[in-house]
Amino acid sequence: MDSAKESILSIQDLTMSYGGKQVLNGINLEVSKGQIIGYIGPNGAGKSTTVKIMLGLIEDYKGKVVIFGQDISNGDPSYKRRIGYVPENAETYDNLTAMEYLVFIGELYGLDQAFAQGKAESLLQQFDLIDVRHARLSSFSKGMKQKVLIISSLLHNPDLLFWDEPLSGLDANSMMVIQEILSQLAKEGKTIFYSSHIMDLVEKISNRIVLLVNGKVVADGSFEELQEQSEEGSLSGIFNQLTGFTEHREKAAHFVSVVRGDHDDAGV
Amino acid sequence: MTMREFKSLKFVALFKGLFRRFGVDYEVMMLILRIKLTMDERRVPTVFNEMGKKKEGNQFLKSLWIYGIYGLLLLPFLFIGENYIFQMSIMFGMILFILMTSMIADFTSVLLDVRDKNVLQTKPVDKKTITVAKTIHILIYMSFVTGAFVALPLFVGLYRHGPLFSLIFLGEIILAMLLVVVLTSLLYLFVLRYFDGERLKDIINYVQILLSVGLIVGYQVLIRAFEFTNIDITYSFSWWHFLIPPIWYGAPFEMILNGNTAGYMIAFTALAILVPIVAIFVYSRLMPSFERNLEKMLSDTKSRKPGRHLLDEFWAKLLCRSKEERGFFRFSALMMKKEREFKLKAFPNLAMSVIFPFLFIFNELRIRSLADISEGNMFLFIYFCNIMIPGTIFMLKFSGSYKGGWIFRAAPIERESAAFSTAIKAFLAKLYLPIFVVVGVAYIFIFSARILPDLGVVFLSAILQSLITYRVMKDEDFPYTRSFEFAQDPGTARMIMMTLIIGAFLGVHFIARAIDYGIYVYLVLLIVAVVIGWRKTFPENWKAEDVKETSKAEASI
Repeated sequence: MDSAKESILSIQDLTMSYGGKQVLNGINLEVSKGQIIGYIGPNGAGKSTTVKIMLGLIEDYKGKVVIFGQDISNGDPSYKRRIGYVPENAETYDNLTAMEYLVFIGELYGLDQAFAQGKAESLLQQFDLIDVRHARLSSFSKGMKQKVLIISSLLHNPDLLFWDEPLSGLDANSMMVIQEILSQLAKEGKTIFYSSHIMDLVEKISNRIVLLVNGKVVADGSFEELQEQSEEGSLSGIFNQLTGFTEHREKAAHFVSVVRGDHDDAGV
Repeated sequence: MTMREFKSLKFVALFKGLFRRFGVDYEVMMLILRIKLTMDERRVPTVFNEMGKKKEGNQFLKSLWIYGIYGLLLLPFLFIGENYIFQMSIMFGMILFILMTSMIADFTSVLLDVRDKNVLQTKPVDKKTITVAKTIHILIYMSFVTGAFVALPLFVGLYRHGPLFSLIFLGEIILAMLLVVVLTSLLYLFVLRYFDGERLKDIINYVQILLSVGLIVGYQVLIRAFEFTNIDITYSFSWWHFLIPPIWYGAPFEMILNGNTAGYMIAFTALAILVPIVAIFVYSRLMPSFERNLEKMLSDTKSRKPGRHLLDEFWAKLLCRSKEERGFFRFSALMMKKEREFKLKAFPNLAMSVIFPFLFIFNELRIRSLADISEGNMFLFIYFCNIMIPGTIFMLKFSGSYKGGWIFRAAPIERESAAFSTAIKAFLAKLYLPIFVVVGVAYIFIFSARILPDLGVVFLSAILQSLITYRVMKDEDFPYTRSFEFAQDPGTARMIMMTLIIGAFLGVHFIARAIDYGIYVYLVLLIVAVVIGWRKTFPENWKAEDVKETSKAEASI
């Protein structure tokens, strides 16, 4: 990596515990401009917690988080102006229409109402959502909602993107579009930090992969670098190896046997 | 696309300078408020969307008329002379009671809402602005509630006691409203500080229930502050009156209109004005930590071990015949035990059911002896146990996790009516019966075993009343499938009717007691009515198709 590049994000010795349980165990991460970082790890590894800390949703962490040169613990929320965020659970104000929601978010980022509206319209057009722009989000499918959230994270043309599971609910075609958008945004100098469970995709679009296990970074580098470190050919192979998971076949076989009723004594 | 302009926001805009002084991002706050008010107008029914009639508009505002009716209760106090310290203390006791109840029941969820954290707090908006927006959002609704409640007394007061009276009244109303909102917020802030996770939610639940009960008891304490001798009501000062806010608010009237400038009157008046203002300053200092601590609501790390529900099993076996019914019963029992929003709305009702039957006996004890009371008909106050029935049965439709209700449609349920019949059984067995037994046993100690047949009558009336309430309120096939957002529905009038039915039961009971062996005849009649009523309401032995047809026919009525 080119170390002369501008540092966008820097995490030092980040630890976090919830009610006695250690969720993050000393994370260190330096991110420079233009990187697409795939942030992966098993469920409960602490991926979302890290992202939430960086967005100021969680405050009682230990360690240092610096974004755009600002230590975010100083309480000034203005660094968020240059960040776009897609939350993991597709949380929105469902009673609003797509347009109302987008304009509201745009205004929260300090955009002018008319400007936000125009931009939202053009972006909805690109995602073929223009006809439903005045329908309530509660009537949207998960994929449609996800697209609205992706648009809402881009309205203000941010420099840093945090996308938590951005592809959940999207169909194969939309995934390809998003994938392409990601790489083109990165070419424009945006920095992208996203998490996903779809290994093939992470393998393809990231130029840096960070693997988190039990609140610790266990691998950090390009796909090629990770391949060299382990003998596995694919990212999912590397993932299985580094998370110490090998018995998937036995697990599945046992599961199916329970479904079949081999161990079932309830009877109907 | 144009979003509606809200008149209430134009009023808020008058205080622009004040918000800026407190370091609030005024524009963003207004933006958030406008969005919230827009959303409040659009609450759409539930998972079974197509089944419910869509109701547009702000449901809460439509339910305000009920507060207007409560306001009528205040009027008599305006016409009993010029003993302001008494009549205005009582009035403000009622006002604080209603406002506090409304704040706890309807707005706690707004205050403690963490759902929009991911939407708002990830944007460049500071926490203070978010919390202030929340508080103002609540204050807007509280002003509507207060307005609907005191508008009539205010005008009558103007006519009866003159403009100066109304002016003091208006000023104090605003102070009282601020006091209620800010003190409740501070209380939650305090609780949030010391607890976290699921435990926190439980504690908040208990605090809410305790507050509701405390209000009722507090009201009794307030009345004790005055001495009733024949027709004269006199007030004599004691130090503990400083702990009773309604008296603070009664004092300014006495001081200004009756010229009573005793030291304690001035002290009360000072408290009435200063406490809300100090509370606001304290609150504004602590606000950022409020939002921070709210994060704790989201964390739940404790896994609990499954408890044993021997009693539930016993009732399930005793009250339900089919396996399906037993399943529904256990589900209902669990929901009543675990569902926080349900507990919050229902438990204050339950608490009143316990307290009222004793309260009246205690009140009576001030006049005559226990031996004297035990001779009479005072045990009929046990009918107050039944006031919890309409409210709780009404709540059975709702759940905080109503979205899980799709399972009722997806699962191959044989007898749909079993879902509600078991919910009512669970209510009677798990919530009503324990309270009834506690009060009943205490009453047997007071009134001797002679009242046993009467207690039987009361219990059967409770079952019958539950059935009637269910039939009147029914508009949903399954319990726990609607959002509490709709608990504000205009069902209130029907609820009051259902509560008044208790009066009818009481009347018949009186008549039955007047006739020889009348009570036993009434007892038998009630048993017959309950059995037939239950069969009719929840058809049992019919084939599945028949049931479907009747339920369709009922739905079309």
